[in-house]
Amino acid sequence: MSYRLAPSHAIFLAIVLAFTVAMNHSAITAKFSLNNLIILVPASVIAVILIIVILLSGSDSDTPPEGGMRKMLGDLLLLALFCAFCSLMFVIGFDVATFFFVWFGIVLCGERSLWKPPAFALVFAVLATTAFGALFPFPMKTLVL
Amino acid sequence: MIDVPALATALDLLFGSFSPWLFVIPGLLIGLVFGAIPGLQVSMAMALFLPLTFSMDFIQSIMFLTSIFTGGVYGGGVTAILMNIPGSSSSVATAFDGYPMACKGQQNQALGLSLGASVIGAFIGYAALFLLIQPLAVVVLKLGPLEMVLVIAWGLTLIATLSEKSVAKGLLAGMLGLVLSQVGMSSTGVLRATFGSSYLLDGVQVVPAMIGIFAASELLRIRERQTLSTTEDIPSIAFGPIIRAMFSTFRYPSVLLRGSGIGVLIGAVPGVGSSVANLVAYGEARRTSRRPEDFGTGIPEGVIAAESANSSSEGGSMTALLALGIPGGAATAVLMAAFSYHNIVGGPSLIRDQGDLVYAIILGNIVQVLLLGIVGLLVLRILGMVIKVPLRYLIPSVLALCAWGGFGVAGTIAGPLTVAVFACLGWLMRRHNYPVAATVIALLLGGMAEGEMVRSLQISGGHLGAYLLERPISMLLFALMLLSIGAAALKALRINRRSQPSDTQGR
Repeated sequence: MSYRLAPSHAIFLAIVLAFTVAMNHSAITAKFSLNNLIILVPASVIAVILIIVILLSGSDSDTPPEGGMRKMLGDLLLLALFCAFCSLMFVIGFDVATFFFVWFGIVLCGERSLWKPPAFALVFAVLATTAFGALFPFPMKTLVL
Repeated sequence: MIDVPALATALDLLFGSFSPWLFVIPGLLIGLVFGAIPGLQVSMAMALFLPLTFSMDFIQSIMFLTSIFTGGVYGGGVTAILMNIPGSSSSVATAFDGYPMACKGQQNQALGLSLGASVIGAFIGYAALFLLIQPLAVVVLKLGPLEMVLVIAWGLTLIATLSEKSVAKGLLAGMLGLVLSQVGMSSTGVLRATFGSSYLLDGVQVVPAMIGIFAASELLRIRERQTLSTTEDIPSIAFGPIIRAMFSTFRYPSVLLRGSGIGVLIGAVPGVGSSVANLVAYGEARRTSRRPEDFGTGIPEGVIAAESANSSSEGGSMTALLALGIPGGAATAVLMAAFSYHNIVGGPSLIRDQGDLVYAIILGNIVQVLLLGIVGLLVLRILGMVIKVPLRYLIPSVLALCAWGGFGVAGTIAGPLTVAVFACLGWLMRRHNYPVAATVIALLLGGMAEGEMVRSLQISGGHLGAYLLERPISMLLFALMLLSIGAAALKALRINRRSQPSDTQGR
């Protein structure tokens, strides 16, 4: 029986483990009392046990994720673009960030036309910035609109 | 059985002005479109539009969100019938007989039957909730903090263990949600795990987290498709036969009532919902039919059973939310977030102290269901065309709306960043079949569980074990929880054993 665990699955489990350890460290440092740790510690212990169980049963029973390497890279690129968009909204302005994200996003999703993506992105960014700008009660950084 | 003064106030709340109804038709339309597009889930639509409800009053916002819910459950059936593409998991069984009917040229009859069964099923679901909410309240009010902890734990166990093949993955998703819920100020006032960020003082922002994990991560999953349908022709739709077929639903009372009954019961169990209800009701209709061999060839009973069950399960799922304050699935989790935003806590105290709001929600939904009959009929043709929308334009646009939605809730960069972090987490979880709904529901209930647990500790003087043995309801709930875990583990073991010989043969 060969041992197979997809790298992305291993990364997910590592993130959960690291986050659980960091949470416990922070909570225990803040106050070592039953009331403070009543949910966190039992949940963390069960989580660690479950991670071990999943790792141990991660051989043939670990169903391979859908799609191949190409799909995964495409997903990751779009995800990275989305993260960059969310981080840059307050730096380059909501309008400009939305315009570039939608443009590049459409291209990443497979549009071949050269002029359609920026044209659609422009209309979308103008409409979104105007509509949400009127709707939200918070100040919103914009560069052009 | 019915609290008449609360009912009178509810009627006044609903019909005293037009304001509660202002967003019902837009909500139904949004739900119908999201429900009809495969990959775009109803919960996704609800999470995406949740920030818009923050400027509405409570009843208006709940009416808007539940109308998306109601429309979405029906919308999935339209594309299932016309193109054999279920818009959502709750319409899988609708395609079994709906599409063969369309292939035989009976698409109008199938659409009419599905609309009729959806309207009647949802009506029965909410009528049952209307009649049962007060008797249920009497029982629920007897629950103390320890029982509430156990109800939450049992609910989470069910959600985590029933929705996916692997019990361990489901439970880990739930535990991750519980750990995430402990970020920020504790119920006893201790500040923990903020990692130096002032944005985390109040904990993880639940609504942006929901938008990221439900909506953004799902959009990435359907990225590679060009359009949702490759079929060029949409069968012609005519209103006359659809209306006639709608009324012919009443010719199958036993299928309709059985399907609706199954939907209500299954919908009330946390973690199961409409996706399971439609399949169980279809199976039951086939098992009890005099002509089971005809199922799957395009017969009205199949469509009616599936559609009445998935629609009535909506009323069932609202039971757990209103009576216990526990969301049974992704859609009701979004509703719970809307409740929290308006400082309303579902559960025993809501029924006791604000019965008028509970009745207003139920009655509003009953009227909404009747409106669905009209709106659904008018937009059938558009829904048939909706799956032609090119996804390469739709996905980046909706993703951008997700980030905007996150900002709309938080008003700071913390909103879009939370959406981004949870989109990454959701992408990883979906990729490896972890139920994301379990994480969100645990994130929502973690704080409540902590508060109730601390109260139980104080009442018991620190002797929780002895206190548990003194309370028969607690013991029963504890036993039910253990039974749920045991049954799920046994089921998973049986599935693994069954698949092993076929794997060996395959090699």
